[in-house]
Amino acid sequence: MARDDRSRRWPASAPGLALLWLALFIAMPVQAEDDTLSVLSWGGAYERAQQAALFAPYTAATGMRIEVARYDGGLEGLRRAVAEGEVPWDLIDMTRSEAMAACAEGLLEPLSPELLAPAPDGTPAEQDFLPNSFGRCAITHSIFATVVAYRQDAFPGTRPESIADLFDQQQFPGPRALQRTPAVNLEWALLSYRVPHEELYDLLSTRRGLDLALARLDELQEIQWWEAGDTPVRLLTEGEVVMASGYNGRFFDAMVNRGAPIDILWDGQVQEHETWAIPRGAPNPETARDFLRFATTTERLADLSRHIPYGPARRSAAARVTTHPDSGIDMRLHIPTHPLNAERALAKDEAWYARTLGRIEDYFRAWLEEREGP
Amino acid sequence: MAVIRFLGLVLLGAIVGGVAALLAVAFVSAVLALNDLLLISPRSRMMFDHPGLLLAATVAVPALGGLVVGLLHRAIPEQRPHTPADVIAAVQTRHGRLPARAGGLSALSALVSLGAGASVGQYGPLVQLGASLGSLGARVLRLGRSDDNITIACGVAAAIATAFNAPLAGIVFAHEVVLRHYALRAFAPVAAAALVGYVIATNVLDQGALFHVAETAVPRPWEFMAFLAIGGLGALVAGAYMHTILGMTRIAGSLPLAPALRPALAGALLGLTALWVPDILGMGQETLRFATIAGAFGSTELLLVLVLKIAATGLCLGMGFSGGVFSPALVIGMLFGALCGSLVGQLSGAPQETFVFYAVCGMVAVTSPVIGAPLTSLLIVFELTGSYALTTAALASVTLASPIAAQLFGRSLFDIQLEGRGLDLSAGRGRAVLRATPVTEYLTKACVTLDPQSTVAEAVTALCQARHGEGYLVDGQGRYRGCVSLADLEAAREAAAGPVRVDEVAPLARPVLRPDTSLWDAMAELQDVTGEALPVIDPHADDAFRGVVFESSITRAYLAHSDELRREEHGTG
Repeated sequence: MARDDRSRRWPASAPGLALLWLALFIAMPVQAEDDTLSVLSWGGAYERAQQAALFAPYTAATGMRIEVARYDGGLEGLRRAVAEGEVPWDLIDMTRSEAMAACAEGLLEPLSPELLAPAPDGTPAEQDFLPNSFGRCAITHSIFATVVAYRQDAFPGTRPESIADLFDQQQFPGPRALQRTPAVNLEWALLSYRVPHEELYDLLSTRRGLDLALARLDELQEIQWWEAGDTPVRLLTEGEVVMASGYNGRFFDAMVNRGAPIDILWDGQVQEHETWAIPRGAPNPETARDFLRFATTTERLADLSRHIPYGPARRSAAARVTTHPDSGIDMRLHIPTHPLNAERALAKDEAWYARTLGRIEDYFRAWLEEREGP
Repeated sequence: MAVIRFLGLVLLGAIVGGVAALLAVAFVSAVLALNDLLLISPRSRMMFDHPGLLLAATVAVPALGGLVVGLLHRAIPEQRPHTPADVIAAVQTRHGRLPARAGGLSALSALVSLGAGASVGQYGPLVQLGASLGSLGARVLRLGRSDDNITIACGVAAAIATAFNAPLAGIVFAHEVVLRHYALRAFAPVAAAALVGYVIATNVLDQGALFHVAETAVPRPWEFMAFLAIGGLGALVAGAYMHTILGMTRIAGSLPLAPALRPALAGALLGLTALWVPDILGMGQETLRFATIAGAFGSTELLLVLVLKIAATGLCLGMGFSGGVFSPALVIGMLFGALCGSLVGQLSGAPQETFVFYAVCGMVAVTSPVIGAPLTSLLIVFELTGSYALTTAALASVTLASPIAAQLFGRSLFDIQLEGRGLDLSAGRGRAVLRATPVTEYLTKACVTLDPQSTVAEAVTALCQARHGEGYLVDGQGRYRGCVSLADLEAAREAAAGPVRVDEVAPLARPVLRPDTSLWDAMAELQDVTGEALPVIDPHADDAFRGVVFESSITRAYLAHSDELRREEHGTG
């Protein structure tokens, strides 16, 4: 499908592009937009990792300067920029679910997997990337996970091994911190009944499945609900809770860089895709495509995973991940897609959420209000 | 030469198995796709955000699906879908030769039924489809009836192996339910077919197992008593299920509604009920899963869904939807087992770690009597769960379920249905084959017919010339008037002074056969006869004499049939 889009689009856009360049040269000869690529990304440790593994090497290789703007998720800014016809970014690093929604709204340029480089051994990109990495307008580069982490000192003589242990108050007593959303919590709650992964969203599609999941959540005596991604790490390191859900990169940072006494429970990890997308009306779409090709090569993806524990979307890159540049620890054991960690990973069903989120959220909120009382 | 021929049959079995497996894969995928498209699957219903339209679709889809099914069935000679019962009948009577067109139409109407959410099963249509394909293969290659039976069994085994992802269950099902013997000659081709089906299933069909059970606790010893009891009670549930289907079929037959419109009515009723209890819609994969989870249903809710599922399946199948009986039985059995499990839990107060054992025991207790296949049911449990503990528990349950149901109701729903159509398989294949062979196949006119008005002397001369000991009196209108022996004629000639007419001689007490008398019944008549032959009279044509069947031909035919069966059932290659 993506291939068709491309062959349809290019002949039409090539003259348009030439005109655009011409207009830029005539109207704004002093602006240096032609040697700057504007990227919208998430800031913090993630951006630092991208800077080291992607942006700096790209500038070194091509002389293009990369300007990074801070992104906090959501489609509002993009929607406004496209509507006003003044899109300031060439490339956006977004979650796949938001990329799917943005693509459906026509906010993104279609992308073809053909622009991707093959693996070093010649394997075509389409075979090298993990399944479902190519959307119509977005290409997955990394995979991050929502996982449960626990305090090493909370359960002497034992430790959680399955996601069902999150709900086992007898063996693993103590308060939990969970994200104040139905997503991930419902999945884990239903998985604790030992239902097979492939049936999970079918079962959550029934009233009975939702009720069972919420009944499981209700069994937890104390839940601290978090919204910002750094809260669960703080609650866990300060000892406010004994188990917390959160993003694997954040927990890794606390464990490795700050020596927090926590461990990650990989069972039931919910994987999500982080993608590159080019907004419709981007100033330099050709350079953006060139960067995208560069940033998704096996070498760059492997290097990115050395800086931040996200799974590279390429199989060939996963095999080349080595040690963290500062601490020297083996990063392979900390990325969600490592075979040891991914054995019972769950792929978040974004198509399902795209159509049901509103109703699921209402249902979750009603339960939450009932649980917390008036 | 025989070895090469046998290896050829094995190869044919593998090919039939491969094609049947691919068809099964396509069928299963098409049902799933239709269920998503037509808002039957819970997932598609959840993702569809127009409550009003969803309600309308819930009633309209099964009703319109029923209409299509009803129209499709008008193109089948029997005006009804073909089912595994037809396959069993074809094999057990050694008639073989399943009609490809009716088989294909039945599979198509089953696809529509399942796709539109009717409460029917998918395995029956797959078995029927595989069998029709196998029979077609045998016909194309002009193979004999024994080989036709084997290729039918190959199609069946491959369909089951593929659909359940369980090759052993496929092989055993083909033997236990369809062939009903375990000859080595049949085993190798059937095993090859099941194996190919399994390989295709694991590589092409990327579907989860029908049910799989994570590691659980081992049941306590006293719980095996409960499993036995579940078996006994499950037989009764199976009986209720079967008789609901049979009863609904009878009621539907007397409805003042054109047969083609009956499924549409059933579909509309099903849709209306599903607005209240959506669990009864379709094959009920989600219901099946929830039934293995303690606490997913309350006890009264379990009973309600159980009763409604039985009623819904009876309604759909009785009113003429096309589909199997296994998948609904699976759901009914699981719900029944879950009900028993929660009752035991309430009574004993024990933690429900072994809840899934009760659900599985209930499942085999209901499914095994319905399809008449205790071994297959056990193997399905074993191959799908890989759990020996669970299989042992299921064994306890099936031990009572199968014999009790067989005593009370019959070997299987298929056998009961066939008995209703006049094919009694309760005494095995030997009798069924002889019963299905009409005696007219051995009819001959090579006998002496005598005019009742002729003289005894003429009769004696005629018999002596033909070297026969018995003559048959046939009047001017061609009607049979009795049978006389040469000895009696001679005695009459000796005793009488003047000429005696043949009809004055005392006739022999000789039973008569009718054109539709079976070889089996002819054998029964022969028990009290000493003589040459039995006359065949057509009561529909004013007792017209059609000829005779010699005693020796009946005996020869009996021996020939027995011999064929023996070769088929005990042959090695």
